[in-house]
Amino acid sequence: MRVDWRNWREWLRRLWRLWRGSLRIRTVAITVLLSAIAITAIGAYISTSVSSNLFDQRRQSVTAEAGKATTSAQNVFTQVQDLSDSTDLESVEDSATNAIQTAAPSAPLIAILRAPGQGGPSRMENRASEGFEALDLSQALSKSVLSGGSRQLSWQSIAVPNKAGGTDPGIIVGSLLDVPTAGQYQLYLVYNLSDVQQTLGFVQRTLVLGGLALVLLIGAVAYLIVRLIVGPVRLAAETSEKLAAGHLEERLRERGDDELAVLARSFNRMADSMQRQIRQLADLSRLQQRFVSDVSHELRTPLTTIRLAGDVLYDQRDTFPPATARTAELLHTQTQRFESLLADLLEMSRYDAGAVQLETDPTNLVRLVEDAIEAVAPLAEEKHTEIRLVAPGGYFEADVDARRIRRILQNLLGNAIDHGEGLPIDVYVDSDADAVAIAVRDHGIGLTQVELARVFDRFWRADPSRQRTTGGTGLGLAIALEDAAVHGGLLDVWSEKGQGSCFRLTLPRQFGALVMGSPIPMPPDEDAA
Amino acid sequence: MNARILVVDDDPAIAEMIGIVLRAEGFEPQFAGEGQAALDLFRSGKADLVLLDLMLPGMDGIEVCAHIRAESGVPIIMLTAKGDASDVVRGLESGADDYVVKPFNPKELVARIRARLRPTLPTTSDAIGIGDLVIDVAGHEVRRGDGRINLTPLEFELLLALAAKPQQVFTREMLLEQVWGYHYKADTRLVNVHVQRLRAKVEHDPDNPRIVTTVRGVGYRAGAVT
Repeated sequence: MRVDWRNWREWLRRLWRLWRGSLRIRTVAITVLLSAIAITAIGAYISTSVSSNLFDQRRQSVTAEAGKATTSAQNVFTQVQDLSDSTDLESVEDSATNAIQTAAPSAPLIAILRAPGQGGPSRMENRASEGFEALDLSQALSKSVLSGGSRQLSWQSIAVPNKAGGTDPGIIVGSLLDVPTAGQYQLYLVYNLSDVQQTLGFVQRTLVLGGLALVLLIGAVAYLIVRLIVGPVRLAAETSEKLAAGHLEERLRERGDDELAVLARSFNRMADSMQRQIRQLADLSRLQQRFVSDVSHELRTPLTTIRLAGDVLYDQRDTFPPATARTAELLHTQTQRFESLLADLLEMSRYDAGAVQLETDPTNLVRLVEDAIEAVAPLAEEKHTEIRLVAPGGYFEADVDARRIRRILQNLLGNAIDHGEGLPIDVYVDSDADAVAIAVRDHGIGLTQVELARVFDRFWRADPSRQRTTGGTGLGLAIALEDAAVHGGLLDVWSEKGQGSCFRLTLPRQFGALVMGSPIPMPPDEDAA
Repeated sequence: MNARILVVDDDPAIAEMIGIVLRAEGFEPQFAGEGQAALDLFRSGKADLVLLDLMLPGMDGIEVCAHIRAESGVPIIMLTAKGDASDVVRGLESGADDYVVKPFNPKELVARIRARLRPTLPTTSDAIGIGDLVIDVAGHEVRRGDGRINLTPLEFELLLALAAKPQQVFTREMLLEQVWGYHYKADTRLVNVHVQRLRAKVEHDPDNPRIVTTVRGVGYRAGAVT
């Protein structure tokens, strides 16, 4: 039972999907359903009106015939009244029956029954055709016959047994005969309407077949029309898919002047304009990349010379007078700063141009974090900052560009040391089924909400007056954000003034997947440390 | 005699500055400003090492590198102005042994040059077998049967490093330190590219290496002696 129930629901779901999924099926189904309802209604109306017409017509002819038969039978009896009493009532009845049969040749069953509750000098035998007894004569009819006058005809529909053992529809007509000396007798004439029924059956069969054919035809027409309209729409959908997939050359065929041709033309115009703009963007991007590459070369060439010269001077600064020695030192540090600024700028513009390519390798992120912590250890020592690693998870090989992730980490750690006020820094690494996350939590001055909103902005600095030890370019977090995004990951931040800050990097476990949540809460649970 | 170093760079200021640095370190620099001149000078000047800028007018650095490599196994260090990954790989594939990204500091440059000029050869017996090859350490030769296989000094060192410790699996970092002289994390593509070049010369089927085998996820090791 349970299986059946499930199957039933499964079927229902499948049907629903089919219904929702195909305009063609929906349109054809609705058309067929509605036209079937209309045709059924019309057919039912035609059938009833034909049947009632046929019946009425037949009833009229039947009652007319019955009237005639009644009259001729009554005449027989009336004539007899003038005869002597000795007249044999039986023979009179015979002749009345004959008269009735002559007047009503189409009535197969005839009955002459004595009306109940009357006495008379003589008595005529009840007479009925064979099979009459089996009829289901209603009380209402005989009452109506008895209460009516001698010329009054009463009728009712009745089932007449046929030869095949079933019943045919029929009409029984009753009237009252006055038989002299014997009192009132009921005359019943039974008519078989099977021929009318046959005619009606034929009409109904024709109606049903015709209706079915019509519904099928309408369904087919609807299918054809929908195909005619949906076909191009579907083609347009497929073409849009191809366009979306990057096949910018795809176009629809424009034929004729109808609405579909208009659709095709508008669609193609849209595609043209899109292609043009994408080309322009691609050109711009190429131009930008070219520019970046040129700037890179043009700036780096003199910078290389300056750097070499500066370093040569710097290495000999012990032999210079103090002022010149300091100059050599300044030249050295500022050249380095200029160099990192240039590198960051170029990296940023490479991101802006969309010209960044990842080189992913299976990398153990916990090891990577350990390396990054080691790399900033001298700086941390200088600031008397303790860096603690809490890594409950993340011990697997994630497909990442290790250089970029290391760069993010060094940036986050550098910031944490700079703004951590010498308080311990906690680094968390954890993973779940979908993602791996690294969080760097400091307990320093923290950021206000206003500062928090700008923290990833280019060249924005939390506190310009503060002394910087890491020599940041102001682009570090902006690049880190891009580095995270290009991995399909997220870099977000939590901070509270006086409580410190936490930057959290979340990367998808599978390269190319989307990050939905993060294995590390924000801010991280300090008790876990 | 001081080592001769051919400096190929189209920017005279850089070339001159590099020259100052090199002379201060006791090297003897030669200069060429473009590709053809570099090739001519290389053929006549017998340089011990080439410092080659990748971006040159006319014949570009990659081409110059390939030409020099076709004639000689002389150490080539590329100077790349670009951070572009593809350029570095193309340079290495065309035969450069190492590369330095501009801007660089003089100590780094000198360290790279010294690492290439004074290979740290393992002190071992005269002949070592690796696969069906025999390495003649003293003669600086690699032979298969009677045939001699031409390797650049770097390729020779790489093969020798692996063959000297046939039981050991070398990580890329270990090879970088031992063969290239890097004492910090450097570009592991150096190892990958040069292992490919080495295999192309010594393997019967470079796609199915028997002499320099890959240990997945770790690094490389020498194939068994046959």
